[in-house]
Amino acid sequence: MNESLISLEQINTWFPNNKSLLGKPRSWIKAVSDVSLNIIEGECLGLVGESGCGKSTLGRAILRLAPLSSGEIRFMGDDIGKLDNKWLKPYRAKMQMVFQDPKASLNPKMTIFKILSEALALNLRVEKENYLEQSVKLLDLVDLRPEHIYRYPHEFSGGQQQRICIARALATDPKFIVFDEATSALDVSVQAQVISLMRELQDKFNLTYLFISHDLSIMEYVCTRVAVMYAGQIIEVQDAGSLFDAPRHPYTKALKNAVPIADPESGKELGILKGEVPKLSDPPTGCHFHPRCNYKEDICSKKSPLVCKTGENSWVRCHFHEKLWKQGILINSKESL
Amino acid sequence: MENSVINKKSEPASSVEPVLQVKDLNLAFNTPRGQAKILEGVNFDLFPREILALVGETGSGKSVTAKSILNLIPERSRETRGQVLFGVKDLLTISGKELGTIRGNRISMVFQNPQSSINPVFTLGEQISRLIRLYLSAKINDLKFKTQCSQKQAVESIAREKLNEVGLTDIKRMLKLYASEVSGGMAQRYRIALALISSPEILIADEATSALDVTVQAHILKLMKDLCKNKRTAILFITHDLGIAAQICDRVAVMYAGRIVEVAETKKIFKNPLHPYTRGLLKAVPKLGKNKPLSFVPGIIPDLVSPPRGCRFHSRCDQAMDICHKQKPESLKLEDNHNVSCFLYKE
Repeated sequence: MNESLISLEQINTWFPNNKSLLGKPRSWIKAVSDVSLNIIEGECLGLVGESGCGKSTLGRAILRLAPLSSGEIRFMGDDIGKLDNKWLKPYRAKMQMVFQDPKASLNPKMTIFKILSEALALNLRVEKENYLEQSVKLLDLVDLRPEHIYRYPHEFSGGQQQRICIARALATDPKFIVFDEATSALDVSVQAQVISLMRELQDKFNLTYLFISHDLSIMEYVCTRVAVMYAGQIIEVQDAGSLFDAPRHPYTKALKNAVPIADPESGKELGILKGEVPKLSDPPTGCHFHPRCNYKEDICSKKSPLVCKTGENSWVRCHFHEKLWKQGILINSKESL
Repeated sequence: MENSVINKKSEPASSVEPVLQVKDLNLAFNTPRGQAKILEGVNFDLFPREILALVGETGSGKSVTAKSILNLIPERSRETRGQVLFGVKDLLTISGKELGTIRGNRISMVFQNPQSSINPVFTLGEQISRLIRLYLSAKINDLKFKTQCSQKQAVESIAREKLNEVGLTDIKRMLKLYASEVSGGMAQRYRIALALISSPEILIADEATSALDVTVQAHILKLMKDLCKNKRTAILFITHDLGIAAQICDRVAVMYAGRIVEVAETKKIFKNPLHPYTRGLLKAVPKLGKNKPLSFVPGIIPDLVSPPRGCRFHSRCDQAMDICHKQKPESLKLEDNHNVSCFLYKE
């Protein structure tokens, strides 16, 4: 496969919690702890996890929208982890983001043309006099009509608004786009429209995506690889095709079993994962998942598991992944699919 | 697979009297642009001990239907026709006082966002005690008499029992907390406990799990399924997630642009969807482990101020015929209680 476009080296994003009188933090919320990850050029990497596990923070940290406490972010080989805002500007145009709520991320007082020209101003290849032409082209890319250009965001439906957000992201001619729950607020039929558009654009412009979602079932349709996040750590990365059929980590399996399947004949009961998501201010010792894990042993509460490679671009963080794999506990039997 | 949630045998629908009958419900809102006909001839029955899913896209009128059942939409802004029969009473015409004895007591509702449907300025303990004192005074007196405890202790022990039923633990601490201090899953379970205090005959769950994670959602769904079985409560489950409908519901009603286009038993509707809209909707659902390209229904939901003439779906339908532009399709009753409103099935 191709080279990695973005590589993360042990990045941490901690937010101060409970500041003392002098403004010194007494404790930290460890939203992202010790994450190392490669995003390969041209792929769509999925990022799943429960709410509050730090997925959005990680997505924002990659774009340097969230503070970076330590670690290294390399974008096309350049370390952007320590650059300040001024130096980040050229990189910002190359890395875009599409947010969950399209309504909230479009300025209600601006026409679509104004919204798009604002983004086009970052694109050095487009001259100012060509903004209108370029905006129409962008709208055409996302299946909107030229006459929409002087309308305001509220005149569009949710799916159309999300497409405007995608057009805005494309305006700066990016290489990398983060979709932060970009389809969660949409209906299934609209979601399917937006996703097929995303795939089309990816092929057309050779884009790289980070697709953040809590919806596992959508992952297989959108992504080539999926990273599973739990309590601030990435615990498994695998190809989208095999992740849910043959998960390596007990949490991935639990997450998969909790998804309701739109097939009453499947004969499968919803799996119940006991316990609650740990607080990021005080994560469990050792493996973060051990209090909820069915296969835990003594070592799980003491030692944090290391990253074990399971394939060329996949790895898992579990003490007993080999044992579980050999026993075949986590593999889904045919009839449960 | 004995206790499998989906293999439960549903009761023969014809032999039991429905607890709730919605008959030809029409609702229109007055907007500056004209009257928006939100609901047009909605008909369905809810039987005791069943879970009926009401599915559809955003703006199809699911929530409005639920709110009209409890008459929660302010009268000034709307025009309603039709009947909502609860027993022999029509909930749309009875007096406010009478409605007060039904709302929250015999029919209760759980909303989408749990944290915003709990009062933020009272502790969870205060709110549940208030409901217990309101609905369970007989039980309090009984308990006071039996255990010789004070009113307060009696209320608290009932509160604990009720919260235990929905699977909450560490209740003593929880009763002192405020809505903002508990997680979404806990808040929704607490909300369900509140809704069930009066042992209602009907529970309306309006997107009750949409704001929650899949793992928490699985808990809540199982809880609802068990409640329906043990407490004889009928549940009207409003959702846009067909997966949920497939997992826990006995029957599914599909709604499109203010009309119910198809009603059938869950297994039947997933195996043999009849209405073109239902088919399109089912194809758009992503399924784990089945990597087929997603298809979708082209177009968007129509503007309800000037809805399309005839069948409201005809402009998006790939099987539309001449008659679809002119006439409204009536609900046809096919075999096995499969109801569909589409001209394709008219002989």
